[in-house]
Amino acid sequence: MEKSSLTLLSADAVRRGDRAAIARAITALENEMPGAAALADALATEAGRAHVIGITGPPGAGKSTLIAALLAECTKRGRRIAVVAVDPSSPLSGGAVLGDRIRMSEQAAAENVFVRSLASRGHAGGLARTTRRIVDLLDAAGYDPVIVETVGAGQSEVAIAALADTCAVVCPPGLGDDVQAIKAGILEIADLLVVSKGDSALATATVRDLEGMLALRARRGGWKVPVLLTSAARGEGVAALLDAADAHAQACGRGRRLARPEPAPADERARTAALAARDAFARNCRIELVDAGAGHAEVAMTVGAEHLNFNGTCHGGALFALADTAFGLASNSHGRVAAGIEVHISYHAAAREGERLAARASEVSRTRRLATYRIEVRRGARGEGDLVASFTGTVYVTGRHHDSPDGEAPTRSSRRSP
Amino acid sequence: MNKPLPTANPASTAEAHVRWSAEYAAQLPGEREVRNRSGIAVKPLYTPLDVDASRYDADLGFPGEPPYTRGIYATMHRGRTWTQRQLIGLGTPRDYNARLLDILDKGATAVSLIPCNSVYRGFDMDQVYPELLGTCGVVANTADHMDACLAGVDLAKTSCSLNDPLPFTLLAFMLATAKRRGVDWRLVSGTSNQSDYISHYVANHMFFRLALPGSRRVLVDHVAWCNAHAPKWNPVSVVGQHMQQAGATPAEAMAFTLSTAIQYAGDCVAAGLAPDAFLPRFTFFFDISLSFFEEVAKFRAGRRIWQRVVRERFGARDPRSWRFKFHAQTSGVDLTRQQPLNNIARVTAQAIAGIFGGLQSLHTDAYDEVLSCPTQFGARIAVATQNILREEAHLTDVIDPLGGSYYVESLTDAMEARIAEVMDEVDAQGGMFAAVQSGWVQRRIGESARAFQARVESGEQTVVGVNKYAVEEDESARPALPRPDPALMQAHRDDFARWKEQRSQADADRALSALARAAQGSGNTFGAVVDAAAAGCTHGEICATLRRELGFGQPLVVV
Amino acid sequence: MDIRPKVLVTKIGLDGHDRGSRIVAAHLRDAGMEVVYTPPWQEIAAVVKLAQEEDVDVIGVSSLATDHLIVPRLMEALRAAGLSEVGVIVGGIVPDDDERALLDAGVARVFHPGTSLADIATYVRELAARSRAAKFAA
Repeated sequence: MEKSSLTLLSADAVRRGDRAAIARAITALENEMPGAAALADALATEAGRAHVIGITGPPGAGKSTLIAALLAECTKRGRRIAVVAVDPSSPLSGGAVLGDRIRMSEQAAAENVFVRSLASRGHAGGLARTTRRIVDLLDAAGYDPVIVETVGAGQSEVAIAALADTCAVVCPPGLGDDVQAIKAGILEIADLLVVSKGDSALATATVRDLEGMLALRARRGGWKVPVLLTSAARGEGVAALLDAADAHAQACGRGRRLARPEPAPADERARTAALAARDAFARNCRIELVDAGAGHAEVAMTVGAEHLNFNGTCHGGALFALADTAFGLASNSHGRVAAGIEVHISYHAAAREGERLAARASEVSRTRRLATYRIEVRRGARGEGDLVASFTGTVYVTGRHHDSPDGEAPTRSSRRSP
Repeated sequence: MNKPLPTANPASTAEAHVRWSAEYAAQLPGEREVRNRSGIAVKPLYTPLDVDASRYDADLGFPGEPPYTRGIYATMHRGRTWTQRQLIGLGTPRDYNARLLDILDKGATAVSLIPCNSVYRGFDMDQVYPELLGTCGVVANTADHMDACLAGVDLAKTSCSLNDPLPFTLLAFMLATAKRRGVDWRLVSGTSNQSDYISHYVANHMFFRLALPGSRRVLVDHVAWCNAHAPKWNPVSVVGQHMQQAGATPAEAMAFTLSTAIQYAGDCVAAGLAPDAFLPRFTFFFDISLSFFEEVAKFRAGRRIWQRVVRERFGARDPRSWRFKFHAQTSGVDLTRQQPLNNIARVTAQAIAGIFGGLQSLHTDAYDEVLSCPTQFGARIAVATQNILREEAHLTDVIDPLGGSYYVESLTDAMEARIAEVMDEVDAQGGMFAAVQSGWVQRRIGESARAFQARVESGEQTVVGVNKYAVEEDESARPALPRPDPALMQAHRDDFARWKEQRSQADADRALSALARAAQGSGNTFGAVVDAAAAGCTHGEICATLRRELGFGQPLVVV
Repeated sequence: MDIRPKVLVTKIGLDGHDRGSRIVAAHLRDAGMEVVYTPPWQEIAAVVKLAQEEDVDVIGVSSLATDHLIVPRLMEALRAAGLSEVGVIVGGIVPDDDERALLDAGVARVFHPGTSLADIATYVRELAARSRAAKFAA
């Protein structure tokens, strides 16, 4: 049978557990493609059966190796298990190496296992909504448990705590900075604390330290957070970890995420797209939005005859306009109206007619009132070529908010025009 | 009588150097700094000001005497040139044997054997896709196969180099063959060429990956066993070649190799072996890149560091323990698919660097290695290249002919310092085993590989025919590739299946259980492998048994 | 909105030399792509399952020592799984005769040693766009 996108974006096929349909639907959700929202709505009503286990911890803690062992254990118990593994995107190129599967390749090949890797793409807000929808979808497809793995840094802990029924925080053995980090950030969200690499000499000491810290913490909802020692290499402690996760779900319930509202759809990306859509000057210069998120934006244009100066190369003003557009969108992406107050541009190389140029803006710093951005204009559709211009700009962040990004124009011009 | 060399007057030399520097800068203003692959800045001229003549005895000395900068033997290539060891392996044992006898006939002086990749991965021929069998090495899974591979070769007289990763089944099969032929194991000589599991783990090359701790154990067992039963066999070859092929700079490759050797020596000492009992049997295996003087300096510096390390760290007293014996292979990474005949020139330059570096054994790559596994024609030219260099070019008339060159001596010192720096970093990581387990070494090599690629992409590093001097391809220069005859390979598979049915299953099972018990307890695992080979166990069975008992090593991949 | 290419970089068969695949994977990341990377020695069935679950647009197979000879088996397995829209490229040491056989089996292109990384990235981007368009064509 010919598989079209219509059949592939079918809620029924997902419910049947058709692997191709699930995979294609995740792509649609991940990229917010047409039809994705409707599909997510159709499946959301059936979500809530699966036990969602969040696994987080500092880089190098052994999360992927532990998940590989959990996959083996679940397979042994006859469960259908799904994993959503999130890896960071490079802030410079926007690309990512999704390496979580590396440690699971043997277990991921099993029939009852579904593994999907996601790149964080630099916008935590959008990621939280996408991940939630993907979890709902895997839930509706009958996977139980659904494991979500994130890099233990920054905002992702908050997101995973909102998403997962059971949060397991993985700590590598050893004292010092790692434990400090755990104390500072992610200890609060843990329902289970896991000390990995239990074959290492330091592991039992780390267990003692963590138990000591937990003793100082109030219990949440009658659940006593256990500290579990695992050695994925030897397969030890993994069954006990799964049992503890089950016990937590028994005690505290499943579908915790459903009690919360879905992260607002008015995220940075949609807002930025709406802003770009009504930027008449940018449109006039044939500047197009490529990608955007919290504090960053990427725009592109093809140098046309109308962009050329008397030397026959791209006019400095046109390059400025391209960089400035990225600057404006990135600085307004957070929802507050921001106005440029100072910029500087350096031109490094000439661009010629027919070349595709991309400008990528990233946030260097942001305070309540001031924010600074660095913008690079490079050759190539995604700026993969050499540097044409670099631009630094600072905005003043006003107290006003952009209107909802569903198309309504704001009451006043969103930003300055020079 | 020789005229005495004029002695330099330091004051006037320094003065002249200032004058020359000004003239040079005036003629080449704004010249870009030149750095070699190891990152060492190379000046346009070296003079007596760059060397300390008073340190001759301490830093250079004489061939055959510490610090061995000028060579590990008193006579070096004057007394005995190098062993011409072409690595070969293709098809069935019978195909291999025909090729082996051919190259022995053409001037090669020792046996080398590369097994099929299925063997590297620990499989028998009935466990893999048939189209992959024998395309890169010989399909040898049993003692009978080894017997056929080495038909017509006197095992008591010919040194055999086996590309045989642990658990060294090929050696076990060869020993079984020797026993059948009535050859005393104490006469069997050669090298376990792929014993360096750390380098395999780093470079992700070809082997079946016991978990690192299991590999560590099996290697020490192997050293101890050979020590007791096959004293002329070199059980350890530390392979810098893998590191450099994977992207390490020449200095990093030398440093990681020496640190690996320190790890292995330390493990052997911890197992109760006396340093002077096993160190004389340690050998090394390096890559020779096209960075000519850098490679010469790398080898000279390596000799100097090794003799210091074995004496200072291990207290070795036997001079045989101090000698840094190495085999070298011209680097395949430098060869190009474009204009493949150019590779003959590259291999020649690489080989000369190795010879001037004082190697003991040499493999020259066939010019067509970058197109396919080498053809017989390509292999013959590679052998001829060695013959020309050895007997026509007068390269071997003088020992260490570059010794005393201001540049080469200065560069040797600089390489030694850079190598020592990297070795210190490895020590800070807790030694080579720990540094590889954590991925530190792999990350470092990956960075160097990318940096080199970036130099090629930017044109900073010329590659003739690729980023400069590209020409329309002459298709006729590309050789037809040899593939094993599918019918012969199928017959080999059929024979294997029949043989398996006819062998004594009870004997094989007993030997495999004994191997498992040795692995579980503290018995010598390699001794049990030798017994299993003699009892008719196959390569795949032996590997599977050890993998089950000692764990499978997950590859650590770092991008 | 532009969608980032999703690419699988892998090695099948028996050989483990991964210098090339690691450099290419890192470069594709730096060119803005999302790259799923595997260790060497993948089973063909595992690659197919991975490609399906990750919904990749392009598969890059690196081969140094004749493992390209089983790429036709991979192509067949992809077709059987309904993944014929996924673009497959092979990089490494591939003799001329074998290259023709690979192209006949449906491989989009073979990259030989000496190819610039920029050329590979440009081609992968185009191939990914074509593959994505074919997958989501109604």
